[in-house]
Amino acid sequence: MNKCSSRKAAKAAGRCCTYFFCTVIAVLFIFPLVWMIVTSTKTEVQYASDLGSVRTFLPYLADLSTFFDNYGRVLTQYDIWKYAVNSLAYAACVVAGNVLVNALAGYVMAKFRFPGKSFISFIIMFLLIVPVETTIIPLYSIVHNLGISGTVLAVILPPIVSVFNIFLFQQFFYNISREYIEAAELDGASQLRIFFSIMIPLSMPIVATVATFAFIGVWNDYIWPTMVLPSPQPGEWPLYPIQAALTTIQSIENVTTGEVMASLVITSVPIFLIYVFAQKYIVEGIGAGGLKI
Amino acid sequence: MLLTSVAIIGVFLLVFAGFIVKDVIVVRRSAGKLERYSFKESLCSYLMLLPAVALICIFVLLPIIYSLGYAFTDYYLLRPDDVHFVFLDNFKDIISNISARGNVYNAIINTAKFVVFVVPLQIGMALGLALLVNKKLRGMGVFKVLFFAPVVISLTVTSFLWSRILGGGESGLLNSFLVKLGAESVSFLFEPQQSMYWIVLISAWQGCGYQMLIFLSGLKGIDATLYEAADLDGANVFLKFSAVTMPGLRSVLTFVIITVFIGACKIMVQPMLMTGNQSFTITLNYLMYIEGYTYRWVGYSSAIALLMTIVIGAITFLQRYLLKEED
Repeated sequence: MNKCSSRKAAKAAGRCCTYFFCTVIAVLFIFPLVWMIVTSTKTEVQYASDLGSVRTFLPYLADLSTFFDNYGRVLTQYDIWKYAVNSLAYAACVVAGNVLVNALAGYVMAKFRFPGKSFISFIIMFLLIVPVETTIIPLYSIVHNLGISGTVLAVILPPIVSVFNIFLFQQFFYNISREYIEAAELDGASQLRIFFSIMIPLSMPIVATVATFAFIGVWNDYIWPTMVLPSPQPGEWPLYPIQAALTTIQSIENVTTGEVMASLVITSVPIFLIYVFAQKYIVEGIGAGGLKI
Repeated sequence: MLLTSVAIIGVFLLVFAGFIVKDVIVVRRSAGKLERYSFKESLCSYLMLLPAVALICIFVLLPIIYSLGYAFTDYYLLRPDDVHFVFLDNFKDIISNISARGNVYNAIINTAKFVVFVVPLQIGMALGLALLVNKKLRGMGVFKVLFFAPVVISLTVTSFLWSRILGGGESGLLNSFLVKLGAESVSFLFEPQQSMYWIVLISAWQGCGYQMLIFLSGLKGIDATLYEAADLDGANVFLKFSAVTMPGLRSVLTFVIITVFIGACKIMVQPMLMTGNQSFTITLNYLMYIEGYTYRWVGYSSAIALLMTIVIGAITFLQRYLLKEED
């Protein structure tokens, strides 16, 4: 009896230790993000007076009159909403194109029989395995010489195709029974119709995974858009996506810390939402990454 | 440029046509043993493959081939019609730059420093967090989300956020506390001795949540009866870790080491946004970007890229070989 209760006590102590340890690490992990969000609600005066004290991490909840001022200024004065619209538009195009193009290719590779197939699968396997780490400069020179540098096509077209996604779709379609296709063929449906009205609905989980990763990829990309797009000119609708706009906002004269933080928060919100709502697909996608080796 | 591109794609199509003819002939020769290709199905396949294959050719295959080819030329971006084959001149330049301790030398040292520190740190943190979160206690899901949160935000946001935290002057977060305590303010990111280590810390902080999830799925795959058996044998925590957990995670660990290593070799955005082009933070990938994009010397930049690919490829191969060997 006594032995049992002491073991229980030890277990409880261990549990407390774990929670304590987890909390300390969580604080270390999360404090920059908390500071970012809290600072984004402060005026420059509030920010300066809080420097060096714990108040830096606490919002001014008593006086809400200036709470969203930074957001207002960032959105209207620095036009960050225009960049956000750009990013959303680019992401929508890339997501739609990415799913369509790669699903089509994966479907053909999984279900069709045609001469020359071995060559295409060789190319796909080759590109999956060969470690080509840095082709961004040659890619830039190609885009430049194609004459699409400086246009939105340069940010939309290259990320549409993904050999890894073709491979994912191919694996998925392998496991779908041919009977679906044969039944539809008997009904006289065209191949494209079969693809859109049978295959795509069947492959919704993998479509969601691919779409989520494509969206995050485009939304978070910084280097490529700044390479191929012109920097914003006054009086014109800018072409920069939101990540690139952050650089522009940073370099504005007299920009306050609160405004910078507000722009960082606005940039992160859509991705936070995606992670909350598409968590399942992200975990699956991370697992699928393990297939690659 | 246009001509070579057309030629390369032409060769690609010729090889493809060769394979098609070969396949058709094989079927014909088999005298009915192999099913004939349906013309309609084949045509349909080619049409449906066309967008993907065209985009792969232009945006994946061509850049790979060019990155090999450009390295041996003096291609300057704005003079696409005036390209000369210079054989190993670019590599000679790189070697003389290294021996003169120029920016290539700095980039190699900084990249090596980053990789050597970030790979064990990030993987160790990820493994530790995964083991912690894997405990069957209430509320661990919340901690998992919190540890994963830094992965969510983009490199750009992290870089700007941390440059404000570590920034010089008294308005930086860390400095404001230091000043309060009576110390001098330090611009951490611009101290040549420490800058790279801060970048290591920030990258590990941001990245490890991702590997934590991979380790978690690996831990879920370990047979629970193994732990029960170890308990019965009276094994302590460390013995269980080394005898059950580590062997169970072997293939996951191999995967994680190689992906983190390759990712670390390509570091570029953090130094670019946090310090700019500085001798103490320039990395190989960043140098390649500066030479190829800012200065437009595509030839020289491609030579650096080629060297990088060879070194990364060789080390990855070696890692895979060594990690397989131990099995």
